[in-house]
Amino acid sequence: MFSLKPPRPTFRSYLLPPPQTDDQISAEPKIKKLEPVLLPGEIVVNEVNFVRKCIATDTSQYDLWGKLICSNFKISFITDDPMPLQKFHYRNLLLGEHDVPLTCIEQIVTVNDHKRKQKVLGPNQKLKFNPTELIIYCKDFRIVRFRFDESGPESAKKVCLAIAHYSQPTDLQLLFAFEYVGKKYHNSASNMNGVPCESGGGGVSGPGAGSSQKTPLFETYSDWDREVKRTGASGWRVCSVNEGYMVSTCLPEYFVVPSSLADQDLKIFSHSFVGRRIPLWCWSHSNGSALVRMALIKDVLQQRKIDQRICNAITKSHPQRSDVYKSDLDKTLPNIQEIQAAFVKLKQLCVNEPFEETEEKWLSSLESTRWLEYVRAFLKHSAELVYMLESKHLSVVLQEEEGRDLSCSVASLVQVMLDPYFRTITGFQSLIQKEWVMSGYQFLDRCNHLKRSEKESPLFLLFLDATWQLLEQYPAAFEFSETYLAVLYDSTRISLFGTFLFNSPHQRVKQSTKSYSSTLRAVPSSFRNGVLSDPELLPRRNSLVLKPKPDPQQQADGRGGDAEQYFRDWFSRPCDLHGVILPRLSAAHIKLWKLCYFRWVPEAQISLGGFITAFRKLSLLADEVDALSRTLRQQRGGALDAGCAEPAQSRMYFRAGGPQAHAAGTPEFLSSSFPFSPVGNLCRRSILGTPLSKFLSGAKIWLSTETLANED
Amino acid sequence: MGVNLSSMRRLRKRLPLSRQVPRLPPSRVSSMASASAPKCNSHTSENEPVKSTSQDGVNCDLNETVPRLPGETLITDKEVIYICPFNGPIKGRVYITNYRLYLRSLETDSTLIFDVPLGVISRIEKMGGATSRGENSYGLDITCKDMRNLRFALKQEGHSRRDMFEILTRYAFPLAHSLPLFAFLNEEKFNVDGWMVYNPVEEYRRQGLPNHQWRITFINKCYELCETYPALLVVPYRASDDDLRRVAAFRSRNRIPVLSWIHPENKMVIVRCSQPLVGMSGKRNKDDEKYLDVIRETNRQLSKLTIYDARPSVNAVANKATGGGYESDDAYHNAELFFLDIHNIHVMRESLKKVKDIVYPNVEESHWLSSLESTHWLEHIKLVLTGAIQVADKVSSGKSSVLVHCSDGWDRTAQLTSLAMLMLDSFYRSIEGFEILVQKEWISFGHKFASRIGHGDKNHADADRSPIFLQFVDCVWQMSKQFPTAFEFNERFLITILDHLYSCRFGTFLLNCESAREKQKVTERTVSLWSLINSNKEKFKNPFYTKEINRVLYPVASMRHLELWVNYYIRWNPRIKQQQPNAVEQRYMELLALRDDYIKRLEELQLANSSKVSSASTSPSSPSQMMPHVQTHF
Repeated sequence: MFSLKPPRPTFRSYLLPPPQTDDQISAEPKIKKLEPVLLPGEIVVNEVNFVRKCIATDTSQYDLWGKLICSNFKISFITDDPMPLQKFHYRNLLLGEHDVPLTCIEQIVTVNDHKRKQKVLGPNQKLKFNPTELIIYCKDFRIVRFRFDESGPESAKKVCLAIAHYSQPTDLQLLFAFEYVGKKYHNSASNMNGVPCESGGGGVSGPGAGSSQKTPLFETYSDWDREVKRTGASGWRVCSVNEGYMVSTCLPEYFVVPSSLADQDLKIFSHSFVGRRIPLWCWSHSNGSALVRMALIKDVLQQRKIDQRICNAITKSHPQRSDVYKSDLDKTLPNIQEIQAAFVKLKQLCVNEPFEETEEKWLSSLESTRWLEYVRAFLKHSAELVYMLESKHLSVVLQEEEGRDLSCSVASLVQVMLDPYFRTITGFQSLIQKEWVMSGYQFLDRCNHLKRSEKESPLFLLFLDATWQLLEQYPAAFEFSETYLAVLYDSTRISLFGTFLFNSPHQRVKQSTKSYSSTLRAVPSSFRNGVLSDPELLPRRNSLVLKPKPDPQQQADGRGGDAEQYFRDWFSRPCDLHGVILPRLSAAHIKLWKLCYFRWVPEAQISLGGFITAFRKLSLLADEVDALSRTLRQQRGGALDAGCAEPAQSRMYFRAGGPQAHAAGTPEFLSSSFPFSPVGNLCRRSILGTPLSKFLSGAKIWLSTETLANED
Repeated sequence: MGVNLSSMRRLRKRLPLSRQVPRLPPSRVSSMASASAPKCNSHTSENEPVKSTSQDGVNCDLNETVPRLPGETLITDKEVIYICPFNGPIKGRVYITNYRLYLRSLETDSTLIFDVPLGVISRIEKMGGATSRGENSYGLDITCKDMRNLRFALKQEGHSRRDMFEILTRYAFPLAHSLPLFAFLNEEKFNVDGWMVYNPVEEYRRQGLPNHQWRITFINKCYELCETYPALLVVPYRASDDDLRRVAAFRSRNRIPVLSWIHPENKMVIVRCSQPLVGMSGKRNKDDEKYLDVIRETNRQLSKLTIYDARPSVNAVANKATGGGYESDDAYHNAELFFLDIHNIHVMRESLKKVKDIVYPNVEESHWLSSLESTHWLEHIKLVLTGAIQVADKVSSGKSSVLVHCSDGWDRTAQLTSLAMLMLDSFYRSIEGFEILVQKEWISFGHKFASRIGHGDKNHADADRSPIFLQFVDCVWQMSKQFPTAFEFNERFLITILDHLYSCRFGTFLLNCESAREKQKVTERTVSLWSLINSNKEKFKNPFYTKEINRVLYPVASMRHLELWVNYYIRWNPRIKQQQPNAVEQRYMELLALRDDYIKRLEELQLANSSKVSSASTSPSSPSQMMPHVQTHF
């Protein structure tokens, strides 16, 4: 139910010969304006003019006219036409409204209407017809569609081929990140990882909060050391055997091991582990139980002995000498292929299938994707490990063949449930550094930046989804909002930052030549997440959470009892948001993350509605209370405090002082998909009135290459 | 974490937050309200029986016996074993009054286990016989109308269950024993009279009626035109009372088309009625045809009148066999008919039964979504909402006036008109507005509450029973989920209404139509549910409510957004129960309290500062001097 605005002049008008008056001069700069906004190091490789970007599926009346370019970083559609049907613009510092980073492209389909041909474009392929239409299927669920009716046929074809070529590089070094010379951000190191940089100090304005808000990257000895001390882990030490990646190329240079294991032993043991991955400490409970992740011991002869040694060492590091509980993730959880298959089905169901036709069987279709089942399995398993650590006082060892996929998810979820620090923005980011980036989660392969699809798996998304389930159940326990999680997911699709680009920390160091390595790291975190523009409009920060207590409550719940009883007791007590949180796991509680999966689907958008409308009111009130408290302090302190007045508030949600703030109603731009907009982002194509997907029933991936290639 | 949070933390350190909070959580508000309002009956603070029935076991004062409403008398009590489906058998003492069934644990502490109004009971069965073997196999199984069952085991000796069975049957189904419903015995007093909430003349005046096109008629004053309609009706100005009588002859049960709502600007109207009596032979009635044309012309629009027949078309055709039918194209040239495919009361009853099967006592876990789908409950919700959206959209866009009917015009029709009105008119989204909406479109227009719910009636298998009103409230809940700031009332308000739909404590939902209520003098002899709610409104308010006068709400009636109302349908399961109150709401209330507190302190500080200035005090106050002063405000 969009309010229809009067038609605007479109780009078509530029095609007309300008009246022979002084308009000649004014027309010139207009055309000049259609220049792409490029990042340092970004170059345009091809472009085509007079392109139409489709906005709605069923009508061309809102289509935009402009220029389509392909650069070594993105495809960009440049237009003078304002976006129709849209009341709010979500802007991204790195990307324009109509931009798609090349690494976000899933599939490129070219169509020729007259010849009734279409073809999925792979790299280095030939195109035997001149495309009249280009459809880009994106990894973030968008479907963007361009028409070339008025553009030069040859240039249209060239652009399509260029996009196909540049979006499917054969080598990591060809990714744009390596071209990107971030002079602009090559500033002081203190800017490097601090979360608060992006918010103008939003997170640290409290007195005494000072500079403690940097996200630890766990690249250094001291970050690990601080984490050991923060969790109060005694019996554990930071070890440097892997300095220079001498032992393993898929481990961080520094990590934490039982104090009783000597470096020399570790080196010897390392040969027996898959990937030479020495067991890694993740976290310690205040009761002394530790969470450890361990790869498979491939050396069968040594297996029992080494296993024994490691377990004994872990037991020794436990203040109560408690036993070790081993959890074999490969046996208990779905594997990465199953997760990928579920995700593909989910995507198919959410955006590719026609909306109305999937309505009737929506629930069972959703069930049959198995996505929610898997999310639940991860949460359930993690909660059971929480019970082992918390209630049984056992150290937990996560076992997985390589120890760098399922372990990342489970280790992170356990810590999010147990440690309120990881529910802050800084803490959550440090968790991702610790359990994903530094522990060797293969972002390059799993995100499939190089398009070798057999290794692709959305494990990181599954983790974010599981975190979202916790956030949904305990909204006040998290410092961040669901928008933050969605944007974090999106940033894995922008190949600009080192964070989500590599298979291991070693690979990053190796691949980053001298001058670039610092560039990759020295990106302020605002860009790391790729967001930021209208800070006051972005509800990234959750205004529900109270500042976590400095010391996590230690409820020494010594009783043994079984897990069932533990969960029952836990749920019967009032929940301490600064303590442990456990997910409710009944099927009725595990929900679909609508913001993430429906944000581009126009039919699913609740205009002027959704949770965000209540969240906005809450945020406004939080700001008001904040302002009052500041005034109060100033009044009370008189002249004394006046000097150190707080900097202007820069929360990342709605500002109390904003133009809309005191209007009684709900701002027009709010909708259930806020801050994202479905306009122009989900143009399902229909052929002769039949949705394309009709032709593809049974197709596993978006559009299977076999089915579509040169379809007649 | 900005300034406010750290400062709040400091506040918290000084005192527990709850004590600084002037706006107390609802429970405290209620007890305060009852204490400060002497007119209130002493039991009104406890007027939320269902709230305390939850299985989590609200600890009660040991001295307290059974809570009793004025007019409530204890009939019997007995030691039983309650077979809790979640926690196993519990030894307890059951108390039966003429209003409720109340169970207190006899183990360790005397926890309240449940407190169920007898009106909720739909069926009482004996389980096991005198010779049954096995532990707890002999007793009673009580099926409730609110998605749960209660099971008791009794001692097998001496027919110990016989008198309990008889007493329960007698008081749960008083109509079968020539006893009055409890509502007629209830002597509760409230400081607000809920019967005053709805005054049809006032409500029509609010809508700008009568006007030049529409008049109020008293033709049905003695319910002679239509027994199941209210006394007061709004009809086209150009239709005479004689016209109305002739139209009545052609409409099922004389339920003629009358106005429900008029758009304040474009004057499009929502009109409701029952099906035309077309029959197999395809009868026509010139008066009816003319009357519909008169309705169409009231807003001087040339477009056709839109008729929404709520039924699936097959059902509408089938109704011809029993004399009913629908408006055919050739008879009604200026009307356009659409079927909305909403199923009948029997389908809805069976669907809800299936919902109960998958949620009680245990939630179907392994194939939850497909099981939920197979109940079709959400699909029915979707169809009802979709129908209402279409009605609202036609009227709001000024495309045409709308006539809604089903077969008799008291089930699906009431759902559609009231939901469309809720979408169109923000007044109905306030607490009193919603009460008026229910009072008007449901109660006064003869939704057969007595038959659909079966108040005090023992015939549990009566085919007339159906959860039509529940389905409507579910739709309202779905809307409130999609628009969290649009409704003045909260979820608890809706659940309270549903609880008293069955409880028989109030007269509000009793009997089938206005004429029957008048005969029984319901408004004089019983208390209105709105008395309870309106004398304690804070409890039922949605803190996020933002009044928006002219906003039309269009919910998205898609399976992607419709959800099972877990807090209602699965509320008895302690493992499913969600945090109450909702964390976001709670946080908002805390912040509101904090804001008020800061404002108060700021004002006081400013006052103190200005008085200091005026007295030209010599020593400026140091923070240390200020602190104790400030702290006294906590």
